[in-house]
Parts: sequence; C-alpha cells; structure tokens
Amino acid sequence: MATTTFRVFRYQPDSGESETYHQDFHLDHDEGTTVLDALLRIQNEQDGTLTLRYSCRSAICGSCACKVNGKTVLACMTQVEDAKAESGAATLQVDPIGNFAPVKDLVVDLSPFWEKFKAIKPFLIPDGPAPDKERLVPKAAMEKVTKESACILCAACYSECNSLAADPEFVGPAAFAWGYRFAADERDAQRKSRAKLYSGEHGIWDCTRCMFCNERCPKGVDPRDAIEKLGAIAFQEKVTKDKGARHAKAFLISMRTGGKLNEQLIGGYTDPIGGAFNAPLALRMLQKGKLPVSPFTHKVENADQVKKLIKNVKETI
Amino acid sequence: MRTHDVVVVGAGLAGMRAAIAAHEAGVDVALVTKLHPVRSHSGAAQGGINAALGNETDDHPDNHTFDTVKGADYIGDQDAIEILCERAPREVYQLEHWGAVFSRQEDSGKIAQRPFGGAGFPRTCFAADLTGLVILHTLYTVCVKYNIPTYEEWFVTDLVTDDVGNAVGVVAYDMIHGTIETVGAKAVVMATGGAGRVYRPSTNAHASTGDAMSLALRKGVPLKDMEFMQFHPTTLAANGVLVTEGARGEGGYLLNKDGDRFMTKYAPNKLELASRDVVSRAEATEILEGRGADGCVFLDLRHLGRDRIMERLPQIRELAIAFAGTDPIDTPIPVRPGAHYHMGGVHVDHWGAAPHMPGLFAAGECACVSVHGANRLGGNSLLEAVVFGARTGEAAAAYAQEARTPNVPAHAAAETQARIEGLLVREKGPRQGEIRDELSTVMQEKVGVFRFDGQLREAKATVTELQERFQSVVVDDKGKTFNTDLIHTIETGYLLDLADCMVTGAIARQESRGAHSRTDFPERDDEQWMKHTLAYLDDGEVRLDYSPVTMTKYEPQVRSY
Repeated sequence: MATTTFRVFRYQPDSGESETYHQDFHLDHDEGTTVLDALLRIQNEQDGTLTLRYSCRSAICGSCACKVNGKTVLACMTQVEDAKAESGAATLQVDPIGNFAPVKDLVVDLSPFWEKFKAIKPFLIPDGPAPDKERLVPKAAMEKVTKESACILCAACYSECNSLAADPEFVGPAAFAWGYRFAADERDAQRKSRAKLYSGEHGIWDCTRCMFCNERCPKGVDPRDAIEKLGAIAFQEKVTKDKGARHAKAFLISMRTGGKLNEQLIGGYTDPIGGAFNAPLALRMLQKGKLPVSPFTHKVENADQVKKLIKNVKETI
Repeated sequence: MRTHDVVVVGAGLAGMRAAIAAHEAGVDVALVTKLHPVRSHSGAAQGGINAALGNETDDHPDNHTFDTVKGADYIGDQDAIEILCERAPREVYQLEHWGAVFSRQEDSGKIAQRPFGGAGFPRTCFAADLTGLVILHTLYTVCVKYNIPTYEEWFVTDLVTDDVGNAVGVVAYDMIHGTIETVGAKAVVMATGGAGRVYRPSTNAHASTGDAMSLALRKGVPLKDMEFMQFHPTTLAANGVLVTEGARGEGGYLLNKDGDRFMTKYAPNKLELASRDVVSRAEATEILEGRGADGCVFLDLRHLGRDRIMERLPQIRELAIAFAGTDPIDTPIPVRPGAHYHMGGVHVDHWGAAPHMPGLFAAGECACVSVHGANRLGGNSLLEAVVFGARTGEAAAAYAQEARTPNVPAHAAAETQARIEGLLVREKGPRQGEIRDELSTVMQEKVGVFRFDGQLREAKATVTELQERFQSVVVDDKGKTFNTDLIHTIETGYLLDLADCMVTGAIARQESRGAHSRTDFPERDDEQWMKHTLAYLDDGEVRLDYSPVTMTKYEPQVRSY
C-alpha cells in the first residue's frame, strides 16, 4: 500500500465561479494503481463532481490525456508510483492538457483539435475505380504508414506543442501525422495537393522542431518525424514556393556552397521582399557580430566534405 | 427539435458502418454518441477480422460458415451466419478501398491472414494487433468525407415511441452544453456496443454499459440469449485488459505453473486455437485444480522471437509491460479468463430490424441477430459489426424512405428533464459506484465461466436487492455541464436491468452450451434447449420466452477441437 496526495485542477462552471483552483485529495492505494484508477476512486469515494474523460483504460481510446506533474501522459497508462519516482515528488499535480480551453475540471474543449484534423482531408483519395478485390500494396510500402496509423488522437502532442502555444492556428502534430499517413500511402493520388494543403501559413514549416510531440506521444507515433517527412514530400513534389520551404532550401544551398550557414543568404533567399522589412533586426545582428558583413563569405576548410555528406544523405532518403 | 430520416445511436464500427450505408442510400442520417466516435471501444479490438479471401490457402465462405455454426454450439441462426460469411470478403475489400492499413503478405501485396481460434483456415485479416483501431479510424474518415452530422458527447437517456409504439427518435443529454434534447427520426438504429461492465474484471471499456439493450427492453422489446457471456482466455490479471487471440494465432503457447502445455489434454487437435469457451474452461480447470499461479496461467510468446513480436504484436508487448510489468520477449505473461463479449442483445432479424417495434433497428454487439449463438469466434465481432452494420443501415434507410413523417411526442425531452431533476434533488442514499462494484463482483463470482443453480439464485437475489437500493441512489454532482456522475448513475441502472436478464436466462437454461457452462447440467441438450431465450421486462420483472433456431444445412454434431 502507498499513500499519495493528488493536487487536482478544478473548474466548476455551474458553481457560478469562474475561478480555477487546485484541490488536494489523499488516497491510500495499491502499488500498481494507475493515475486513472486513482482519479476514479476519488470520484467514487470522495467527490462525485470530479470530472474527466476516460473510457478504455488500456491506452487505445485516447480519452484520458492529462498533465501529471507538468508532463502530458495518458492517465490510464501511468502508474502513480512511477510518476512519483520520476518527478521525485510525493504529491502528484494533475492538470488538463495544455493549449485548450477548460470545460470542467480536466475536461477541455477539443473542438479546435477536431476541426484541424478534418481540415487536412483525413481520408483516402484514390485515382480511378477500385478493383474487385484489395489493392495490392507491397508490405514495405504499407509499413511506411503503419507508425502514423497508430495515432490515437489523444491530443497529448497538442498539449506539449510550442508552435501551437505561439500560434493557435498552427495545424499541429497529430493532424500532420495523419496528413503524412495519407500523403505517403501509395493508394492515395493527392500527394502534391496534400503537400500544398499542408504548406503555407500555420503549416508544416511553422513547426519549431522542439521535439516535445515525439517525446510525449504515448504511442510512439513521432509526429515531428512525420512533419519532416511531409517536408521531404513537398520538395519531391516541387511545392517549394512556401517561405518555410525556401528557408529550408536556403540552408541547403548555404551548406553546399560554403560548408556553413550564411545568415545573409538565408534571410535573402527565404523572403527576398519581406526580408527588407527585417533590416533593423539585421542591423542589430551586425552590431553583435551575428551576421557576416558580406554575403560572399569564405568557405570552411573542408567544404567539399560537407558536400559529400549532403549527397550521401540525399541518396539514403 | 432536430429531426433526421435515420438516427444512429453509437459511433463504433456498427454505428458508423450503418450511417455510411444509410448515407449512400440517399437519406439524411445522423450519429449520436456519448463519446467522440474514435473513442468507441471497437478501437480496442486487436486481433483481426475474418473473411474467406483465400489469400494464404484455399478457403471458401462455406468453410467460414461451418466454423461459425460449430463455434456457436449450434444455436446461431444458420441463414444469418451464411449472410455474414458470404458478405465478409466484400466488406473487407470495401474497408481496404476506404484506406484501412491492413498488414500485407510479403511478396504478393495481398492482405495477410493469420490463424485464429476455432477456424479451419488462416482467415483473419489484421493490421498488426491494432485491427479495431485501424477499421474504426477508417470508418470515421469516411464519415468525415461524407460530412455525416454527428452529435458528439450526447448521452441517450430514452428511446422515443409514438402513440402506436413505433420508434420515432431518442432523447439525449448534450454533455457539453448541459441541455436535454430530442432527436426525431423515421428510423432509429441502436449500435451502442456491449455490456461487459456488468462484470469485473472485464476487457471492456468503462463506457461499455449496454445502453441500447436497456433502452429497448424498457420499451417492451425483448433481449435475446442474454445468458451467453464470453470469457476471453487471455486477459491481464491486474485489470482485465485484453491480450489478443492473435498472440496464439501467431503461435503462442499456454502453460500452467509446471510449464505444461495443458491444452493437449482439452483440445488435442486445435490446442491453443480451440474456441474461446473451450480454452477458458481449460484454464479455469487448471487454476481450480491447483496448477495455476496466483489465479493465472501463462501465455508464452518467447519462441516467436523479438522481430515477430515487434511486427505483429507491438501493442500486446506495450500493454504487458505497462500493466503486468512483463516483457513477453523475455517472460511469459500471466493471464486468466475475463468477461469479454456478450453474444446476447436486442432481438433483431438478419436486416437488423426489431420484429417487436417498427422503426427500431440494432447492429453490432448490442444486437443479437444471432450469428454467434452460444460462443463467438475470434475475428467475427468486427466482421459482424461491419456486415450487419451495413445491412442495418441499408434496411433503416429503405424503411425511412417509405415511412411517414414521425409523430414525435412534444413532451419527450421535458419528461426526461423532470426525471433527471427528481434524481438530482435526492440528498440521501447510496452512490452508484458502490452498487456497480457489488453487481460486477457478484456476476464475476457467481455467473462466471462455470455456473450452477445455487450460485445463480444467490446472484439473482443480490441483483434484486441492488435494484431496490438503486431506487434511492444519490448523485453527488448537481451541475448541468458534463455531469459524468449523473451519466454513470443512469448507466448503472442499465447494467442492473441487463444483469437481471443474464442471470434469469442462465438459471432457466438447464444445459451446457458454448459459454454457458452448468456444472449441474454438463451436457448440451438439443432436444430441450436448441432455442433462443427472449427476455422481456414486465412491471420490473424479467419474463422469459423462447424462439426457434433457424437451421439450413448443418445438423448439430458433437463439438470437439
């Protein structure tokens, strides 16, 4: 047996109070108790108003994502004792997932999440009529999208997403993982139009690459990797007018020519017109020595080695 | 009030497949679900979906039909089973065309098929061990594509009938907005899934409370074959979480504490791949006779090797590590039989129509067509959900096209509202949690793998006593918004109804057939009992009646594996 204090986020809109607060509940429990089991026991034994979403309790329905001591997890898949050991705290603070408005206690308004999911055209759009039997898909080709197919839409990645925190319109990791799942499915005929749809403002290039979605995904979907693969698809399909795509391309050119980053070149290539408006920033960077004076900087010593590296990487993709 | 031609309650596999079929038939159809569609418990199905595609070896729907008839212990309706097995390939191809990511054969690119319990051929199509999730997602993406209106997180409290007793809609609690709403319709399709939460442990989700069955029962519609609850042979000891039959389909062994492959004794031909009732009884016998360890036997996958486990059974590994602290690559998993699938349900014909109530349809686990009889074969539940989901959607659409504008009683929502307010105002009494705990415990102990008259009658007495206590149940949460305390309380009322039907049917059926195994009546008795049980609710009392089983060409035989 163990005893744990659960410091639970509360928001009770029907009480007439708009305040949110944390409430402590003490619970004696078995060693193997999950956070979900503990919350349900609190609900049953101490306070029936405590509200959360949950269903399968086997890490597949995606209902019970929440933050435990600041880290987004599935409550059903997290053991209380493990969470305590990991954070080194005797108290577990349980909060709703981040980046969404609260509805009641741990329940948040997920409608923006579902709208974004729907916006990526999350359905197969094949060319031509279906055959009588199944479409033949080589095992290796099908396996290209199996990882992303395991996404349970729990929104843990949205909870942790820094791009979303900065831009609420950012489409987001799970939706893009699904986008990749269709774009890379050889039965789908919309590779190029999907690349266009997923680029542009709030699109794939707006990801800050903080990697939290990869780290916190409870199912190992690695949404950031999917976003990266969508970037590669955009290049393959020549959907490269996007500022983000140009930025990526500028990196490549800079590395290939000089073997190092050339900020002037990157700034100019990414956004030749808009870049001019960044002149004050450029000036400040110049003063601090963060920007080379001339765009034609010297090459690094082993620039041709870098070139070879790039070639190797290209061949393995 | 909102109205649609067809309203489908529940958005798992059966519900969404029905909605898609109705939409394609050209009617205005809407989904109502107490969860978001992708949260439905169909997504927890792991192992696969059966169809005689013949991709691995020659196979034919007739073989599938025979295996299913035998698996059902000869109480499934053979005409319905023929429909199930003949339409199976078409439905699997349809799912594939819609984008389902089925695992593929190495060279041909065809859908791979694995062996499963009670099947004569490798017939189970799969997507690793995430088959239910992949199909659930596939159907949801089609619903998104068709823009089918979906009332998400609307909990249905009542089935609405008109003055002549036809189904004309539902009343539901909109959880987010805190209002009670009526949805009128010419046809109502019930697809709310199983009632596994009558038991504890159970492989089922917290949401699997058999809502539709109780809603129909309370309106005079009989429930069929309620005494048949399937116990899955491999569930985790800690919390009853499912370990797919696919683990044995891929070659896993069952061992007792002495390391013996005990299935050689109970099913010398099919071994671990005998039907589920047979394997669960074998495990229960081993455990009862002292050859288990801590109430469990062991599922051994070590000889499959890391690569096979990672490719075909990744979720099983993840769940075993999370909930049993065991990595099956290195160590056998302790498992035991657990309540898993309910063969019984709303009495419907093979178009999903309820003969006792025009306008009412049901599909999936909450319905009883019946194709599973006394014991369902692994891989046939996803199949039933899509085949009969599609047929029921088609039938409901056809019915709606002929039906007049429904005459929905104007006071339906107000009556529900008053009933709920009456419940919320109560301050003193038991809470639903304690009633539910006692119910699921007594069902597990006394209406389990093995049953006999004395224990069944004790269980009936407990259910009756709990029903009385439930009359004064108290809801802690008095609020309007997302009141899960209220919902759980209403669900507990549903579970009590269904447990009563299960126990009453089990007491009456004095034979052993499929999942209903009576130690005091150990033989199957075709003369007396080759018939379906129909349970009605008359003034709060369960009354039983019986109906014949449809046979086509398969005479009952002795069932051995």
